[in-house]
Amino acid sequence: MPLGQRVVLVGGGHNALVAAFYLAKGGFKPLVLERREMVGGGAITEEFYPGFRASALAHTVGPLRADIVRDMQLRRFSCEILSPDPRMFAPTPEGRALFFHNDTAKTAESIASFSEKDAVKYAQFAESLESINNVLAQIVSMTPPAIDKPSPEDFWNLFKTGRGVRQLGKEGIFNLFRWSPMAVADFVAEFFETELLRAAIAARGIFGNALGPWSAGSTAVLLLRAAADPHPIGSAAFPRGGLGSLARALAESAKEAGAEIRTDAAVERIRVQGGAVVGVALKDGEEVAAEAVVSGVDPKRTFFQLIDPSQLDPVFANRIKNFRAKGHVAKVNLALGGLPAFSALEANERALRVLSGRIHIGPDIDYLERAFDDSKYGELSCAPYLDVTIPTILDPALGPEGKHVLSAYVQFAPYKLKEGNWDSHRRELGLRVINTLGAYAPNLSSLVEGMQVITPEDLETCYGFTGGHIFHGELALDQLFTMRPVLDWARYKTPIRGLFLCGSGTHPGNGLTGASGANAAREIIRELR
Amino acid sequence: MGQHYDAIVIGGGHNGLVNAAYLAKAGKKVVVLERRHVLGGAAVTEEIFPGFFFSECSYVVSLLRPEIIRELDLPRHGLEILPLDGTFTPMPSGDYLWRANDHAKTIREIRRHSRLDAEAYEEFSKMMVPMCRFVKPILSMIPPDPTTLNPRDLKQLHFLLQRFRELSSDERYTLVQLMTMSSADFLDQWFETDVLKATMSASGIIGTFLGIRSPGTAYVLLHHYMGEIDGAFRSWGFSRGGTGAISNAIGSAARELGAEIRTKAPVAKVLTKNGRACGVVLQSGEEISADVVSSSVDPHLTFEKFLEPSELPSDFRESVRHYKFRGSSGKVNLALDALPNFKCLPGPGAHLRGAISISPGMDYMERAYDDAKYGHYSRRPYIDMVIPSLTDPSVAPPGKHVLSCFVQYAPYKLASGTWDEQREAFGNNVIETISAYAPNIKDIIIGKQVLTPLDLEREFGLTQGNIFQGELSLEQLFFLRPVAGWAYYRTPIDNLYMCGSATHPGGGIMGANGRLASQVILKNWKSGASRSKAAN
Repeated sequence: MPLGQRVVLVGGGHNALVAAFYLAKGGFKPLVLERREMVGGGAITEEFYPGFRASALAHTVGPLRADIVRDMQLRRFSCEILSPDPRMFAPTPEGRALFFHNDTAKTAESIASFSEKDAVKYAQFAESLESINNVLAQIVSMTPPAIDKPSPEDFWNLFKTGRGVRQLGKEGIFNLFRWSPMAVADFVAEFFETELLRAAIAARGIFGNALGPWSAGSTAVLLLRAAADPHPIGSAAFPRGGLGSLARALAESAKEAGAEIRTDAAVERIRVQGGAVVGVALKDGEEVAAEAVVSGVDPKRTFFQLIDPSQLDPVFANRIKNFRAKGHVAKVNLALGGLPAFSALEANERALRVLSGRIHIGPDIDYLERAFDDSKYGELSCAPYLDVTIPTILDPALGPEGKHVLSAYVQFAPYKLKEGNWDSHRRELGLRVINTLGAYAPNLSSLVEGMQVITPEDLETCYGFTGGHIFHGELALDQLFTMRPVLDWARYKTPIRGLFLCGSGTHPGNGLTGASGANAAREIIRELR
Repeated sequence: MGQHYDAIVIGGGHNGLVNAAYLAKAGKKVVVLERRHVLGGAAVTEEIFPGFFFSECSYVVSLLRPEIIRELDLPRHGLEILPLDGTFTPMPSGDYLWRANDHAKTIREIRRHSRLDAEAYEEFSKMMVPMCRFVKPILSMIPPDPTTLNPRDLKQLHFLLQRFRELSSDERYTLVQLMTMSSADFLDQWFETDVLKATMSASGIIGTFLGIRSPGTAYVLLHHYMGEIDGAFRSWGFSRGGTGAISNAIGSAARELGAEIRTKAPVAKVLTKNGRACGVVLQSGEEISADVVSSSVDPHLTFEKFLEPSELPSDFRESVRHYKFRGSSGKVNLALDALPNFKCLPGPGAHLRGAISISPGMDYMERAYDDAKYGHYSRRPYIDMVIPSLTDPSVAPPGKHVLSCFVQYAPYKLASGTWDEQREAFGNNVIETISAYAPNIKDIIIGKQVLTPLDLEREFGLTQGNIFQGELSLEQLFFLRPVAGWAYYRTPIDNLYMCGSATHPGGGIMGANGRLASQVILKNWKSGASRSKAAN
């Protein structure tokens, strides 16, 4: 394919925007087609209640991979990243709390009030994650190797990774092997004795997935997320103006590089003839010819809704069918008349700062596991695990003066309910979040002025995540790396000539990092040139 | 100091005996030291009630390595395996699922539940053949060390990689899934019938503290499935005379080869000198010296009880501390006056000759696990029952029967109370559960033995009551079992070896551990590393 040809990207999520940028830089003419009125996919800012705006879904960045931030020069596109410190405040119902600062020593101080031993161990733990980060970062940046015919580049990548791995030493290597398939509850128990500390860190291994802390393999999720940010509890940063600002900046940068971006342009079909893509057809009937189509939407939607099933190889189709993508996450955004008063904090300047990062609700491992238990049988957790932010503390412009936005990821809310549908459980879900938070901040319910509940069903219908899975598919051992989305097709290519994937359903798929998009673009450029 | 031996084997379980037999076969002067009055460890038969012989712990066999049977000539020593005919799962609805050893019959039975599943079952059975074929050689392989650049290890790793690459794409896909998925997710891809999936997934949780939805259980499923197509037996079976007869056969072979076997000889300490093992002290105070000590008991006993902390490097001690036992099962052995009568298929019949599985649904299985996670025994447990007296009348008085019930979950660590307090209630709960399907059970019991995880620990020396000497979870398999860096039957103490189920390839009556350990021991001997004259 000659340079300058048009490549159509389906969906304007962050990975597609990143891919579009690199494709434009690589000499192609990318055209991003976004169904909704704004780009961003899961990274958007919305007015959910008059006067209140929130990062409706994702409320922190992954963060984006450093090379992507650099290449796309995001700073030039007025995207100011706010980095709260402490990153996380983890209260107990009894009014105690842990604070996770950027600084390890400072965090250790907070931990010491629970356990001196854990304070020491925390530094070791942070160091362990830091030390394997090199290897992990390499893995998330590479294209999974071809098993049958490894390319010279595959060998080079494996060699590089191998070298990084060897630098970890014998113990480090064995740790990687041993930790990955472990239950995250066991993993944190190897280091810590304080339940709250265990739970706050273990939560990272279950976030967004159908896993409890006792599910084997949840440590792999934690490590994968740590590849983006080795800090034990991960990133708490978000852009001023909400995640939508980030999407806007990505779009601006891609446009400047030469990409074209159209919103309100829903792709209805990816047109395939004789095993190769020929373009896309939009809902309004318009047809766009293209020699390559890159799908940023999830694998199931790509192959089962956008493509004529008769064009699919049955073995491949069966594997995609088996790709597990049942979401267990919901989102609740609250418009608050004032700042909630947490019983673990005295109302002062410090409280304001402490609440500016993420707030972890899930005081012990059993709590998290029980929350998961309910969802296994198709029920909303009685006491859900919550990942909360109050973005208006650092970014007051998101709400009216003196008022606040509270944004909570809710786990577990199974996509498939045992009884009824999500529309009839919407209010209940919202109230459950308010009640749960009420145990930590008793005045919360009196502050609520408005509420937005995004159920797993909404994630599917409104955001386009099939099954409501925010990562486009489970981050499970059998769906990672050379198996993401499916074995033999983990290199961003698909069995249909000219059709590529660049979304979170491909390696590494570890949240808002842009890695899938950037990796995909690299492969696509190589393939098309 | 008393007698001097070439090698001492601690523990007279099946692996210890296999280990001793091979060492003796190589001309070494070996003694096996067994704490109890009988041989066999958890592979033991005992007369609990007059005339009733129970395979107290381990109750079925399939994985015993054919090379061991051949090399030790076990049939001549009395080993006889009788087939176990299929699996019968009664359902609360009054229906049942009965998978027999006869493939065509099983397909017909499954078709009664779902046509699609009957077709899928054919495909599934075909697919499992190459899976087992891939894994089997690994069972007979000393795990390679992935961290070294040693040619032998690299060669082995390369061998595995090559074999993986030789698989077809579909086979690879399935193999990777088996290695990483939960048995529930794995089976969900194949089947739709709840009771079928539940019963099949049950073999994925045996001996682990995992639920059917926990990743990693698909591997355990494969581990147990392998027996079903083993070239030697093609199915699970009973040993005539109970599982103790297997141990006795191996013991007899070992004796014939010149090994000495002592029962009622509990070891108290492993003796070391200058960082080398040089013998043991029995609880009686008797000292026995040897060039090599091979321990078939678990790492907790070997390293935390028989040795002083100061004798081991601290990182190794820490790894042993992290090694997970977490027993999750109990055993209820019943002496019966008559056969249980199942509501869904009344009267005696071939369905009672196989395994009878109380696993009516996936949610049932998962809820059983949920209870255990929080420190309670399952209110409604998964039960795997067998009535060996139907196949082998020698184990019960005429007309009477023994019923062996493997019960999961029974967590070693209870949230409240002790197992001594809860033993009775636990046993009654099992009987209550069975009576929902076979109401006459309560009337025909004439003897009852309840083994809780605590009993398995106290009586059989299985730490925390884990029947496999440590969980079969992914992070404790192959080159990670029992301790990363020490998966090669060696220990940080020279001349001290491990040969029990806590080593690769794990639990079950396989014997592979004892055999592989003997190879390592003998190889070291040859290279002279073990010829420590310092001991004397």
